[in-house]
Amino acid sequence: MTDSRKRTLALFYCRNIPESSETDRQAIEKAYQGRIRLFPLPCSGRLEPVHLLRALEAFADAAYLVACPDGACNYFEGNRRAKKRVERTRQILSGIGLEPERAGIVIGSAQTLRTLAQLAEEIFDRICEMGPSPVLKGGSGGDPVSPGRGEIVYDNSRTEAH
Amino acid sequence: MITAEQKPIEEIREMLAPYKRVLTLGCGSCVAECAAGGEKETAMLASALRMAARINEEEVLIHEKTVDRQCVKAFIIPLDDIIKSYDAILSLGCGAGVQAVSEMYQEVPVIPALNTEFLGETRDQGYWVENCLGCGDCMLYYFGGVCPLARCSKQILNGPCGGSVEGRCEVNPDIPCAWQLIIDRLTRFGALDRLAEIYPPKNWARKQGSGPRKIVREDQQP
Amino acid sequence: MSDKSRLKEVLDHGGFAVTAECGPPKGADAQVILEKAELLRNRVDAVNVTDNQTAIVRMSSLAACVLLKGAGLDPVLQMVVRDRNRIALQSDILGAAALGVHNILCLSGDHQRFGNQPECIGVFDLDSIQLVQVARGMRDKSAILGGEPLDKAPDIFIGAAANPFADPLEFRVTRLAKKIKAGADFIQTQCIYNLNRFETWLSMAADRGLTEETFILGGVTPLKSAGMARYMKERVSGMDIPDELIKRMDGVPREKQREEGIRICVETIWRLKEMPAVRGVHIMAIEWESAVEEIAERAGLLPRPVIQKG
Repeated sequence: MTDSRKRTLALFYCRNIPESSETDRQAIEKAYQGRIRLFPLPCSGRLEPVHLLRALEAFADAAYLVACPDGACNYFEGNRRAKKRVERTRQILSGIGLEPERAGIVIGSAQTLRTLAQLAEEIFDRICEMGPSPVLKGGSGGDPVSPGRGEIVYDNSRTEAH
Repeated sequence: MITAEQKPIEEIREMLAPYKRVLTLGCGSCVAECAAGGEKETAMLASALRMAARINEEEVLIHEKTVDRQCVKAFIIPLDDIIKSYDAILSLGCGAGVQAVSEMYQEVPVIPALNTEFLGETRDQGYWVENCLGCGDCMLYYFGGVCPLARCSKQILNGPCGGSVEGRCEVNPDIPCAWQLIIDRLTRFGALDRLAEIYPPKNWARKQGSGPRKIVREDQQP
Repeated sequence: MSDKSRLKEVLDHGGFAVTAECGPPKGADAQVILEKAELLRNRVDAVNVTDNQTAIVRMSSLAACVLLKGAGLDPVLQMVVRDRNRIALQSDILGAAALGVHNILCLSGDHQRFGNQPECIGVFDLDSIQLVQVARGMRDKSAILGGEPLDKAPDIFIGAAANPFADPLEFRVTRLAKKIKAGADFIQTQCIYNLNRFETWLSMAADRGLTEETFILGGVTPLKSAGMARYMKERVSGMDIPDELIKRMDGVPREKQREEGIRICVETIWRLKEMPAVRGVHIMAIEWESAVEEIAERAGLLPRPVIQKG
């Protein structure tokens, strides 16, 4: 990796993507030395905007989702819902002055079934063209557990009535 | 249910500007149903606000928590333990929730993150419509289950007006003419002659006649 | 000028009544009304004054009515329920009668969304039918809504509007029946371009005996241009303008279209005069009050009858 490729990508993906087993995932993360963190999902429809937002908040210069092609979703509509949620996330980013391109969705093509590794490389190249995220001042630092800056408390637990 | 929509984030940030320790408080009831202020939306908003603060180099602590219902004291009381850590609460409850929380914690400013809108139904996924005004004197029986006060743009009790065209309201073609719906419904029940009656002027005293209303039920009190 | 409703007198005497419409100015200039009065005096029996029509702020209808009265005309006070609650409406009825304004037309009013104060609250405390009923109670029982007695009942001739061209057609006659039951002495209809549909509505009303219980005045509006016809057809709800009419207007060069519009209006009035159930015509020449004289003349409506006193 050259210095100019010091970006961190959070990549969420549907487990139906070719060559996306646990072994594949670990291999990719190792190859990119932690610059890509991969999050498998049973279906892209499982993704919620808050997943992308928290990744961007904690460590990622960009957070992307890989989803199956139209008509190929095992759960019929998961990929369609995912598209809308990514779009919602992009609107939220625009609303706070962050480039909407820091979140995105890449649909696997029905014709060229690219592997997770291929998609990861393509997306990583793309996001490296963006500047570092202003949210992560001083470089991509920290993760949700030990944040580089400030306190992040994800206690969204429900309280119980007495 | 009560429906609401989130205020634009710039407006929320403007109201939050003076505060350094904010509790973003969600509500698991009506506003969760209309995807404005539930647990998910609270997490999204808090994350966005934290990121915005970092981008603008603002020092602020933003925590998030969701209660089942903000409008019931018993469900808010658990916050007693943590409220001292915050100098403001950003509430994603409806107007009732914001005020209930405000009533509980009078020294802490409670800022509304939502614009509360109407009493209505989830007609379809992602689609909510207003259908009740809370008039305190329900006449739905007479109108086949369609309220002419909430659903007719001019609150006509002896309708329709001259602007009903092809079942649409002249005010907005997206709005069905409530009177067309009432006529269709009563026709189906064979009760159209009910509309030959002249319905007298509405008793609005049941809504605002004595100022803001209350209900007291001694059988429900401890 | 008698203090009574001339409109009522003409109708009671069996005459074919003629009314026109006059819009107050968007300002405090009484002169505007007085000039319109000059165009209409002696060509019509009564003049309607619109009440903040289209929810646009104008000089109040009651004030303009009083100006017309002073100029020797018989005004019809249009009252919409959009802007005033039952206290104000009843109060205005008493004021109108006290000022010698004896004709009242009860209307819903256009929604505030259409006007120049869209952020206001629309009152809609009563609807137009309830207003007719309340007005009748004030006159006949000398009492306000709720029964409290008045010290002097207002002498008023009560009207309501009817739209034979809005949906649903079958229910329109039921609504007419309700207005009459509530106490409408006279009815002015929405402007008529589709005479067939109007006649259908009229015969349905006649079948129920309604045309004997109230005075129906058919509304007419002269078209100024083919563009106006098209606009009304496409953009104004509750209007029925047959395609043949648009074609007819289109078939005439632009500078002759006003003339054609007047011709169509006059033809319509002649047709209305042949219908025994129609007891008069209401000429709504919007911002074209000068056309009323020509229309009335060519429709054989002039001179207006002289009502014998005594």
